[in-house]
Amino acid sequence: MTLNDTAHGDVLVVHVEDSRIDAARAPEFKTAMTERIDRGHVRLVLDLSKVDFVDSSGLGAIVSCLKRIGPRGNLAVAGAKGAVAKLFALTRMDRVFPLHASVDDALKSVAG
Amino acid sequence: MPGVVRLSIDSDLNQVEFIARAVRSLCDNLLGREDAEAVELAVVEAMNNIIKHGYQGRRGEAVDVNVTLTRSEVEVEVVDHATPIPEHIVKGGEPLAFDFDATDVAGLPEGGMGLTLIRMSMDEVDYVSRPGENRLRMVKRIAAR
Repeated sequence: MTLNDTAHGDVLVVHVEDSRIDAARAPEFKTAMTERIDRGHVRLVLDLSKVDFVDSSGLGAIVSCLKRIGPRGNLAVAGAKGAVAKLFALTRMDRVFPLHASVDDALKSVAG
Repeated sequence: MPGVVRLSIDSDLNQVEFIARAVRSLCDNLLGREDAEAVELAVVEAMNNIIKHGYQGRRGEAVDVNVTLTRSEVEVEVVDHATPIPEHIVKGGEPLAFDFDATDVAGLPEGGMGLTLIRMSMDEVDYVSRPGENRLRMVKRIAAR
């Protein structure tokens, strides 16, 4: 699982470079994200623009990141489309993670 | 044009993607993009549940997937020899899975969504468990185009 970071002020944008976040990859994804949160990155944008499939295990891993951050910060999702956006809607997780079309839009929503 | 394709993988989460891609390409000419994506999600959730809960992560067991294509529907049957899904979950279908309080971050669900997603994604779902064998049958009807 490849994740690339770009820093925008105190917000870290994590670009997911793989096309899938599924049950096979979710543990590694969760570990990599937890590492970033525990280093103090509590304002995060998750860029899913290159991802075309997420299953409930992948979604659960994203939810666990938000729990890890807790009241200290925020996690916004950018670039979710097609089946990925549909999963957020079906599970009603779009109420928890407003879906932003672009990283720029997401940055505005998490900026402290 | 009706046909049956039989696929089989080892009970390993790393192999679920192969089935997902195979089923997806079988559906692509028959179903629209959204319906093909829905079938892919249902198949992946079914296989994940079998491997994670049924076989409890144990590798070296078979998970079989039979895909039947007709003019009117795509039927995917997933067959395993693992511990069956508990009856109360089959009957209840995790009805409260998505009925959570979005403002209570600590209480958000991280799992238990699979069966509900399968039911939402497919037109028909039934589960038959016999001693030593479980069959999950999922049907997506082909919309008139």
